[in-house]
Amino acid sequence: MIMPEGMRLGIVAGVLAFVASPAVVSAQVDDLEPADVPDLVGVWDGGARIRPINGPNQPWTRENFPVLNERGLAFQSIFDEAIAPKYDCVASSSPALQYDPYSMEVVQWPDRVLLRYEKDDVLRTVWLDGREPPVNEYTLQGFSVGHYEDGALIVETTQFLFDITGFDDYNGIPSSQLKHVTERYWREGDELRMTITVEDPLFLRQPASYTTRWVRMPAGYKLGTFGCDAYDARRAVRFMVPRYN
Amino acid sequence: MKRLLWIAAVATVAVVVLVVAKQPASAHHSSAPFYDDTKRVEAVGEVVRFVFRNPHSFLFISAPNASGDVVEWEIEMGAAVSMRRTGWTPETIRAGDPIKAVGQPSRAPGTYGMCCAQITRPDGSPIRP
Repeated sequence: MIMPEGMRLGIVAGVLAFVASPAVVSAQVDDLEPADVPDLVGVWDGGARIRPINGPNQPWTRENFPVLNERGLAFQSIFDEAIAPKYDCVASSSPALQYDPYSMEVVQWPDRVLLRYEKDDVLRTVWLDGREPPVNEYTLQGFSVGHYEDGALIVETTQFLFDITGFDDYNGIPSSQLKHVTERYWREGDELRMTITVEDPLFLRQPASYTTRWVRMPAGYKLGTFGCDAYDARRAVRFMVPRYN
Repeated sequence: MKRLLWIAAVATVAVVVLVVAKQPASAHHSSAPFYDDTKRVEAVGEVVRFVFRNPHSFLFISAPNASGDVVEWEIEMGAAVSMRRTGWTPETIRAGDPIKAVGQPSRAPGTYGMCCAQITRPDGSPIRP
């Protein structure tokens, strides 16, 4: 049967909307009451109008600044800003990624949650189907699994690559392949809230944590392509007096 | 009463101008390693080009340095994705436009970078997206 193009697109759009709707997610996630599954779907604004911009004192303040072990302090003391991977368009990873002052889109499917970040076009997949992390596979963003619990999405991420600014890209704190990140997302009225906790026995003496929030972007806002330009990302490094020659 | 209203109006205009024209470096990196926030530098000249990109936009200005030699200043601005939300486009500033930038100078000797600059027309009037 020949179907008009408009009708075909309409059916596809309808199916996608149905599959992606929170109600369907609720119905297809086994053994959960609807109240257990928060509606996180949408594009969320984490920019300057919502929360203080990230920097040496945000989100890690005097109150929650990580307690580094001797190795962490040693790495921090020799840190050279010019080596930070962001100057070559390498994306930040958890827990810095979540506090970048840009938007984030959340899509909830029955077997996964997709977290798409406007900054650096990062896409994370949080698997809800109980799968195990692939053996010996380490990546910048790690491997994420999750579940719903008491109206919140809990995400556990492991198997990160060593990252010279993997804990914080403003204070020169690295993270290791033993980094373990736990995120808890929940709704509070119209806001999306998250508490993130980082454990990394190679660099931290104890877990470190911050809580932040997002609000909805105006209706119709779509994430664009970030398309980081590596030449311009590194341009300002010439303005720094080099620490090492 | 009239005087109070006048003061309030002037203050409002000043705030609007600052909000519109002041372009901080984006939240991609800290400005402290690259720029000296204890100093101010001014460049008044002509736009060479405006690079509207992520993670930073850059404005290039041909203008005299402190010695009077004409050099190319590189003004670091915010991420295009953020600036676009406030109405900026690649055409907001064009090559050949007369322009004035006042901001923090770059730290490395012999470089003419600037950040966190207030960008206006040479007479101080704001650039509106």
